Amino acid sequence: MKMTRLFTTLALLACALQGSLLAEEKTAATPVDFAREVLPILSNKCFVCHGPASPKKDLLRLDSAAGATKDLGGYKAINTADPGKSEILVRLHSSDDPMPPQKAQKQLTERERTLISRWVRQGGKYAAHWAFIPPRKEKSAGKKPGTGNEIDAFILGQLQAKKLGFAPEADRSTLARRAALVLTGLPPEPERLQKFLADKDAGAYEKLVDHLLATQRYGEHQARYWLDAVRYGDTHGLHLDNKRGIYPYRDWVVYAFNSNLRMDDFITWQLAGDLLPKPTLQQRVATGFVRMNPTTAEGGAIPLEFQAKNNFDRTETMGTVLLGMTLTCARCHTHKYDPIPQTEYYQLLAFFNSTAEKSMDGNSYTYAPVIKAPSSQQAWIAWNKLNADGEKLLAGLEKETTTALEAKDANKWKNGSLEARLLLLAAGGTSPAKEEAKKITDAMAKSAGGFTTTLVAKDLGKPRVTRVLRRGEYNQPVGEPLQPGTLSVMNAFPEKAPRNRLGLARWLTSREHPLVSRVLVNRVWQRVFGDGIVRTPEDFGMQGQQPTHPELLDWLAVELQENDWNLKHMLRLMVTSRTFRQASTRRTDFDDPENRLFARGPSHRLDAEVLRDIALWASHLMAPNMGGEGIKPYQPAGLWSALMHPASNTKKYVADKGEKLYRRSLYVYWKRTSPHPMMTLFDAPSRETSCVKRSRTNTSLQSLGLFNETQRVEMARKLAERLIKEAADDKGRLDLLFTLLTCREANNNERKACQGLLDAMRNRYKEAEKDALALLSMGEAARDKELDPAEHAAWTQVAITLLASDLAILLY
Amino acid sequence: MTNINPQREYDLMMTRRQLFGRTALGLGTAAMANLLGPDLCAKGTPTGPHHQPRAKRVIYLFMSGGPSHHDLWDYKPRMQEMYGKQLPKEVRDGQRLTGMTARQKTHPVAPSKYKFTKYENNDRGVWISELLPHTATVAKELCVVHSTFTEAINHDPAITYIQTGSQIPGRPSLGAWLSYGLGTMNENLPSYVVMHARSRFPEQSLFSRLWGTGFMPSDHQGILLRSQGDPVLYLSNPRGVSRNDRRAQLDALAAINQEQHEKFGDPEILARIRQHEMAYRMQASIPELMDLSKESADTFKLYGEEARKPGSFAACCLNARRLAERGVRNIQIFHRGWDAHGSLPREHESQCKDVDQGSAALIKDLKQRGMLEDTLVVWGGEFGRTAYCQGGLSRKNYGRDHHPRCFTVWMAGGGIKPGITYGQTDDYAYNIVDADGNTLKPQPTKEHWTPGTMHIHDLNATILHLVGFDHRRLTYRYQGRDFRLTDIHGHVIKDLLA
Repeated sequence: MKMTRLFTTLALLACALQGSLLAEEKTAATPVDFAREVLPILSNKCFVCHGPASPKKDLLRLDSAAGATKDLGGYKAINTADPGKSEILVRLHSSDDPMPPQKAQKQLTERERTLISRWVRQGGKYAAHWAFIPPRKEKSAGKKPGTGNEIDAFILGQLQAKKLGFAPEADRSTLARRAALVLTGLPPEPERLQKFLADKDAGAYEKLVDHLLATQRYGEHQARYWLDAVRYGDTHGLHLDNKRGIYPYRDWVVYAFNSNLRMDDFITWQLAGDLLPKPTLQQRVATGFVRMNPTTAEGGAIPLEFQAKNNFDRTETMGTVLLGMTLTCARCHTHKYDPIPQTEYYQLLAFFNSTAEKSMDGNSYTYAPVIKAPSSQQAWIAWNKLNADGEKLLAGLEKETTTALEAKDANKWKNGSLEARLLLLAAGGTSPAKEEAKKITDAMAKSAGGFTTTLVAKDLGKPRVTRVLRRGEYNQPVGEPLQPGTLSVMNAFPEKAPRNRLGLARWLTSREHPLVSRVLVNRVWQRVFGDGIVRTPEDFGMQGQQPTHPELLDWLAVELQENDWNLKHMLRLMVTSRTFRQASTRRTDFDDPENRLFARGPSHRLDAEVLRDIALWASHLMAPNMGGEGIKPYQPAGLWSALMHPASNTKKYVADKGEKLYRRSLYVYWKRTSPHPMMTLFDAPSRETSCVKRSRTNTSLQSLGLFNETQRVEMARKLAERLIKEAADDKGRLDLLFTLLTCREANNNERKACQGLLDAMRNRYKEAEKDALALLSMGEAARDKELDPAEHAAWTQVAITLLASDLAILLY
Repeated sequence: MTNINPQREYDLMMTRRQLFGRTALGLGTAAMANLLGPDLCAKGTPTGPHHQPRAKRVIYLFMSGGPSHHDLWDYKPRMQEMYGKQLPKEVRDGQRLTGMTARQKTHPVAPSKYKFTKYENNDRGVWISELLPHTATVAKELCVVHSTFTEAINHDPAITYIQTGSQIPGRPSLGAWLSYGLGTMNENLPSYVVMHARSRFPEQSLFSRLWGTGFMPSDHQGILLRSQGDPVLYLSNPRGVSRNDRRAQLDALAAINQEQHEKFGDPEILARIRQHEMAYRMQASIPELMDLSKESADTFKLYGEEARKPGSFAACCLNARRLAERGVRNIQIFHRGWDAHGSLPREHESQCKDVDQGSAALIKDLKQRGMLEDTLVVWGGEFGRTAYCQGGLSRKNYGRDHHPRCFTVWMAGGGIKPGITYGQTDDYAYNIVDADGNTLKPQPTKEHWTPGTMHIHDLNATILHLVGFDHRRLTYRYQGRDFRLTDIHGHVIKDLLA
């Protein structure tokens, strides 16, 4: 027995050895892809000395072909004419004078040495980092698989190369839940679910997707990711961390997603809406993006220092959000890895250096410049409808009518905003549209009466001077004044574009920009599939991870551009793909714990907000109101006062009353130095800095929150109330509970577990009505006193358990 | 109490590191846990120590607001002669002042009104103010560093700087780095605990970023141990729910989750079942931790009767000792109210009364339990205060503005040289000077460090060193960069090591 095993092992070993020798010969000839295989190694391990920020001027540079092939006095690091004579080959394998030097912190692995050697022997050709070359749909998607779309061709391509196929499709109810959670952050309404399950039409699922994309809940859910990225908060974020009035921006973001504003406009308005000709209210409110950086008014702070810090923050956040890159290194010195010279960092910063606000916030809610804007989603919808009506009215007017205006008004007409024109029309003249115009302007005036203030961007008449700051020190400007400018490693600054934030936006949204569309679609993919095609959405630079499916990423990026930057189109493509519809069960036919092949459906814990929203929704507590001043759900006493300065106006947390307690979590008040604990407990960021990918932790404290937090209990008891009222018996109630949370009925084991718990709780609360009543008094919502307390409490316990279970808190 | 021999622990950690290194993602954490036992399967610690640690745990007593080194630690008798006179220009030497006193017309020297006594230590002795009589009794344990310095001159940047290594928010805190490196020794308690001690002058804000994780996974964030309501957020069951009820709920939950696991095979589901169980155990272990009824009368003699009042600094110190005993390795107490711009005597007298006995008791208590040798205790704030007066100066009352150029921090225990002072300042405790009194203007670089000085990065590098980490190698990659607590700075101050 023993001998046999030994023999087998030896035989296997021999085979493996032979195999690996063959493989080696084969690989020596396989062309090395410099950009994907070699450049990341050079960047990570060599550029520290031999890169853009080389510590010594005369040191060999490996970040460009010119540098690497420079004559070093009779020899070259890389000799393209005679690759075998490249000095690098000697030094890589030298034992007495190796590269990297022995004392270097980062050493090459054997595999890396071999790879670099192979590349050099093959000619040592340089190519640009993939992410700096504009995406092209060069590689065709291949043949679309029977039931899929273009995306699937790319995914299947890799699977087939490994002799694998797609996982089976998820069952329809699971798929409905998944699509609804991904698109709207909520499970599907039971009626819609039933309609879908009963729909035998081939396009039933697509119909469901279109329905979901059209709900108002869609925009709320998508907005959340953007608000993380732009670090939206309701407070200034530093020192006193006082209240900041900027929530109309948040509500506008929701509006923009729901109205499917083109993504290029979405970006342009936020960066430079104020610089567009005759900017609309929406366009101006959108510039809240520029004002989103944390600010201070600390007594001793030096304004010049914070002018610099605010600019750093804006520039670097723009880098993370739109370029998918850190620019932070280049604040103090030329970037060590990516080709970003320090001067260009400050040229980029110069776009933001001339905004009109003071560098200190004065601890003021209305930290100027501010404008007035709608104070809820409903108000935004109403306002924008009036504007649309107004535009329609003006567009339909005969030319003669408008020229009938008095001469002095003609000029106003010519240059006036929509509102101004409507007012002119309503005030005078003999236009037949006068009445209609008056109706609209009256409604507008009424609407504007309810407006609130919001922080916006505005440029100074005379721009501030920007210079390089030595080592990023605010008081050490050096060199000549800099023109605002963009990064030379990317596309050129568009001709004729102004050298201001609007020009910057034009550069970013240009078809030639290599990063913006890739970065955006990657994050969209990440929220649909749980992980990006580039797993480091915050870093597309040389130190970032390579895309798992580079051609797919490029295809998607171009698809976005070619389809008018239509986000709903992209989401529809993704969620209707065969790839998305796979079951998420772990596969046993191969090992891919991180799902890098996307060979199964997404599965992960849902975000903090979604956990609360699901329970609000299932319990029928969710308030219909959208937007407005951040809402304050219950919070344990003393959390803010334990931290805050006595002079802060966010020292005392006063929980809201009534419907505000039950608005969607997107609207929870975001105090940046102390966000709501149920948010941070489940990995929501503080919003002091940009976050494009939340961590997904799994901790015991989360268990405590799920079972013990006041609102969780309140939601569970209202859900229990609903179950008792809407279904007649235990079975019916369990079915409803499962349908709401999982879109399916319970299986036998689940039913057994729930029934066991229910019976135990029933018996226990029958004996102790006081305990039942105590449990049912958690939270403010009124209890239906018609219900038997023991029964109600028992179901509450079942409901809170199910709400905490992985059936409810995971996407799968 | 979890009792592990540091050498053995180090060996095991090394084994574990090799295993991790070799298997990369091949072995799940759950499997690792079974292989190595719960003690060593700290979540999220990819590294293990770099060298043999001198301390197993850190207790950081943070004095938020900036205690006055003039009135507590840095004895400057010659300032008395200069009372009310303008601070010599050459002393200030172009120092930037905060917006609060930059426009003040005069900057009169404000000598301390407090009596200093020289206490014996293991060196030349140490001067300590009458405001800290209890602390003076442990002088032989303290390593008092007079030459700590920073660049930040305002609270928010300065406190963010010393706690996260950057003046701008967004980086993981010192505590998060420790949690990332050290992991946990007690699965029933959080690995990183933060307490807020009460002060009569709760001035200046604290921020959750000071114990937050920045771009690191959020399970390394500090868990607040509170004196109000639940000691740990959401620890207690809702009204009308008993421990038995919760047991029944968790059993049903486990059955349901198990079912889910069988269907989907996601190992996270099993991990979550364990977390629910740990939460259940925590519901017992935390109340046990907070229950001081079994503490002896001697304990309260040592810490003072104040330690019976939840939320007092003394109570926090006692909790710190109890946490340390139970295997928690990373404990911070924040005490606010040291920002004495106007009425320094009134405020500092109260502040010192808050912290003096508790800090000293903690040292003595750890020592008598044999734990001081592997527990590092750190005491200090984010900067010092000015030699000149802010606002009106009288013999009875004065105020001081922020001062970054020098301030005093002390350390004790685990691997620290006991009973020494380190670094010195000029006659105004304004600038760091060398042994001959020459002003040093330390401008540390990656390569260069000025002996006798301790930048806040040096302090953090030294803390990490003592618990077994090379601050240059304890890194976390974000946006393509391997971030460190000490950024690109920091030198371990070997002179302070035992």
